[in-house]
Amino acid sequence: MSVGEQLSTGAAAGPDGVQRHQSFLVYDSFRWLKICFAIILASILLYILDEPYGPRYGGTWAGYILGIAGAGLIVWLTWFGYRKRSYLDLHGRLVSRLSAHVYLGLALIVVATLHTGFSFGWNVHTLAYVLMCLVIASGVFGIVSYVRYPRLMTENRGNLTTHEMLSHIAGINDELRNAAVPLDDATATLVERAVETTDIGGSPWRQISGKYPGCATEAALQGVTAAEANVTPELEEAYRRVHLLLDDKRAQLHQIRTDISYKAMMDVWLYIHVPITFALLAALFAHILSVLFFIPLAIRG
Amino acid sequence: MDVEITTLTRRGAALMHRANRVSGDRVQFGRGTDNDVPLTDIRIGLSAMALLQQDGRLVVEKLGTTPLRVNGQAVETTTVAPGDKIDLGPYHIEIAEPPAGFDAALSVELTQPLGDALDRLRRHARIGLQASGLSKRSSAWVGAVVVALLFLVAPVVLYGAGFIAPWQKDEPSHVGPVAVAALSWNIGDISNTHRFFAPNCTSCHEKSFTSVSDNACLACHSTVANHVAAKSDIGPLRTRLADTGCVHCHEEHRGIRGTVIREDGFCLDCHSSLTDKAPKSAYRNVGGFPNGHPQFRATVVADAVAGKVERVELGGNPPPIDRPGLKFSHAAHLVKGGFPALNYKQMACADCHRAEPGGLGFQPVKYKENCQTCHEHDLVFEGTDLPWPKGQVPHGDDAGIVAAVWNFYAAKSLQGGGGAEPATFRRAAGAPAPGLQAPETAQAQISQKAEAALRNVIFDDKRGCGYCHYGTGPQGAFETAKMIPAAVATGERPHFIAPVLLQSRFLPQAQFDHSRHSAMLCGDCHQRRGAESQVPLAQLGQISLTAAVPEPLDIPGIDKCTGCHGGQKAVVRAASTCTTCHKFHRNEFGVMRENAAATH
Repeated sequence: MSVGEQLSTGAAAGPDGVQRHQSFLVYDSFRWLKICFAIILASILLYILDEPYGPRYGGTWAGYILGIAGAGLIVWLTWFGYRKRSYLDLHGRLVSRLSAHVYLGLALIVVATLHTGFSFGWNVHTLAYVLMCLVIASGVFGIVSYVRYPRLMTENRGNLTTHEMLSHIAGINDELRNAAVPLDDATATLVERAVETTDIGGSPWRQISGKYPGCATEAALQGVTAAEANVTPELEEAYRRVHLLLDDKRAQLHQIRTDISYKAMMDVWLYIHVPITFALLAALFAHILSVLFFIPLAIRG
Repeated sequence: MDVEITTLTRRGAALMHRANRVSGDRVQFGRGTDNDVPLTDIRIGLSAMALLQQDGRLVVEKLGTTPLRVNGQAVETTTVAPGDKIDLGPYHIEIAEPPAGFDAALSVELTQPLGDALDRLRRHARIGLQASGLSKRSSAWVGAVVVALLFLVAPVVLYGAGFIAPWQKDEPSHVGPVAVAALSWNIGDISNTHRFFAPNCTSCHEKSFTSVSDNACLACHSTVANHVAAKSDIGPLRTRLADTGCVHCHEEHRGIRGTVIREDGFCLDCHSSLTDKAPKSAYRNVGGFPNGHPQFRATVVADAVAGKVERVELGGNPPPIDRPGLKFSHAAHLVKGGFPALNYKQMACADCHRAEPGGLGFQPVKYKENCQTCHEHDLVFEGTDLPWPKGQVPHGDDAGIVAAVWNFYAAKSLQGGGGAEPATFRRAAGAPAPGLQAPETAQAQISQKAEAALRNVIFDDKRGCGYCHYGTGPQGAFETAKMIPAAVATGERPHFIAPVLLQSRFLPQAQFDHSRHSAMLCGDCHQRRGAESQVPLAQLGQISLTAAVPEPLDIPGIDKCTGCHGGQKAVVRAASTCTTCHKFHRNEFGVMRENAAATH
C-alpha cells in the first residue's frame, strides 16, 4: 500500500458508524491541513503586501508579524512535544494534537522563510533558521517513517511480539545446544558461540542498518557446512539437524533484526528532532534578544 | 472425530499424565484459548497446528509460523500414523494407538521449557536506540547549552565587558574570535563603506536596548550638510527636522549597497504640504513622482549686468529665454556640415561642453578653451606701425585693452607721429622742454586716435568684441567716445563690456547626472539643439537667429523625464525616488548638526 492509499483509507468512521483508527494525517477531514494552507496563504499575502524599501527582511512590519507568528509556532510545537509524552490525554485529543503538530510544523517552513525575506548570512539568525529546517526535515522523516514502517513491521512480524521472537530464538538455542553434542570440537565451539554471542540489536548503526558483520550464527553455519563435507555417515544426521536449526535461527534472526531496524527507523529521527529543537530554542532566544538588544521597536515601513 | 489428548508433565523424575477427550472434525492446537488443545508456551503461535481425518487417515496441518516437524522433517501438511513423532515448537507430540472409542490418541509434552536460554538472550540483546547509549535528553542539553554559550552568552559578555571596542583611527579591525562572536549577531549585510569596522559593534551601538544615536554617526560624519539654510523660516518644521535622527533615513545592515532609505514617504511627509507647514518657503508642494510633481523650474539669467536670475517654469510655449549677456547662437554653430571655410567639421555639443570630472554636469564654457580656436583676435589696426605682423588683443580685460591702445597712440605721439606740430618753438620760462608737445593738444589727439581704433576695430560688431559682447551703453552700445575722456578726466577704470553670466546648471535644485545618461544623444533631450544641427549652412539665414536676439532655453521639462522614469515602485519605468534627482544634504546650507554633541 502506498502512502497515498494509506492516507485515503484512514477514514474516520465506517459505514456502521463505528469510530475506527484514524491517521493523524487525515484527522478530522484534513482539518489541520486546511489550517496549514490558510497560514501559508496568509503569510504569502502578508509578504507580498508589505513593500519595504530595499529587499524584504525580518525588520519590516510584515517581517515582525511573521517572526512573532513563527516564534509562537516554534514554542507551541515544542510544548506539544512535551505534552505528547503524557498519555493522560484522551486518545482523540492526542491524534488532534499530533495532526496539528505535523501540519503547523510544515506551515512553519513558509512562515519562517518569508520572515527571513530570503536574506541569510553567517550569523545566529540564519543558524536559528537552519536548525528549524533540520527539526522540520527530521519531523518529515518521522511522518514518512510513521506511515511506512508500521506496515512493514506488521508484515515482517507475522503477529509475533518481540518477546515471542526472542523466545523462538532461545528455543532454537536450547535445541542447538542439545543437538551440537555429537559434533566435533571445533564445530561445537562455533555452535556454542552462535548460541551465546549472536548479536541482536547493539550499536545504533547495527540497529538501523540491520547488518551484523561477523555474526556468530553465520560463522557457525559456515563452519557446519564445511564440516558436513567430510563427516562420517553415522554423524551425518546430527550435523544435518544442527544445520537445519542454524538455518532456522538465521531466519529468526533476520526477522527480529529487520524488526529492530524498522523500529530504529521509527525512532532515530527523534534523536535529531528533539535535541535540535532545544538547540533551536536557544538560537531563537539569542536571535530575538540580539534584535531587541540594539533596535528596540525600529519597525520600517 | 474423538481424540484422546494426554498431556505429559515432568516433575523431577516423575512423569504425570492427564488425559482429555476432544471431539470435532478438526482438532486445533495453539497458544490461543480458543484452541481445542491450548499450548501455553510463548513460542507457539496463536493457532499452530490442526489435526484432522481425511479418508480414514490422520493429517496434520501447519497453521501459523510455528515450525512443525514430523519425524524431524519440516512439513506444511502430512499424514501421520501411530508412532510418528511431531515437534511443534517446544512441544513434542507422539501419535499413539487410539484406545477403544477414540479415533486417535496423542501425547503432548513441553520438552524445551523456556529457561536460562531466554534470560541470557534477553540480557545479551540490546534492542531499541535508547539501549545503544543514545540519549535525547543529554544531546538536547548539549546542543542548547553550546548554542546559548556561543551565540548568546559570548556576545553579551564580550559586549558588556567592553571587549568589543569602537573603531579607532589607525587601528584596523581584526578578524578574530571576538569579531566572530560580535558578527554572529549581525542582522544583515553591512554597507560596503562601513565594513572596515564591521566587528566594532560599539562604534555605532554605544548602548544596549537603544537605537544608534546621531553622535555615533557624527563622530565621523561631522561635516554632513544641512537640509535647509540655518536662517530660513520653515516654522515648526525646524523642530521636526532637528528631531529627525540619522537612523530615520539611514539604515545599516541592509546590504552592501548603502544605508540610505530611498523612500519617497520620508520627503513627502513635509514636502507634500510645504505651503501650509512652511508658507515662507519658496518651494511648491510635491505629492510624488511622476504624479504630483510640479513642472520643473529652471533658473535663467534675467539681467546679466545686474547679476539677476529668475526661476521660470519649463514645458511652456514659447520657452523661457536665458539672457546671459552674450550674443551667442547655438544654431549658427551647429550648422550642418560644419565650416568648410575654416576647415572645421560639423560642431558637436562636446566641442564646447566638456564634462565635469565626475560627469554630473559640464565645465563652464570659456573663451580661451572653447571659442578662441576659431575666434582669434587677429584684429589688425595700424599694422604698418607694429613691430610684429598681427596685433592680437588679450581677452577678458577691456580696460587693459583700451589702455594698451591708448598707450600705443601715446607712443606714436612721442615718436612724432602724433600730428602736424611745429618742428621748433621758443620755450618760455617754466614751459616744458623742447620735443614735448603741449599736453592738451597731444592728449586730445591720442584720445581721438585711440577712440577711433577702439570703435572701428576693437569693439566692432563684425570683427571685435561686439561680435559676441554687449557694451555697457544703452542697447549694448560701446560708448568709447564718451567713456574714454570721462575715464581720463576722473581717473576711474572704465568698463566697456557688459558683464556675462553663463550658467552651467539650469536646474540647480536637482542633480541631473549627465554621466548616467551617457548612452543617450544630447539631442534626445535638448531637441531644439538637435533640430538646429540639421540646418544646412545655406539655410542658416532663414531661421532668423541673429546673434543679437537671446536664445530660447533648451532644457526639457518633466515630460521628458517621465518618458523613462516612473515612481519609486515603477515596473515598466526606471523606478525613481525623490533622492534619484534631489539631494537631502545640501552643501550650500552649511553643516547639519553643528551642535549635535551638545544637543543630543
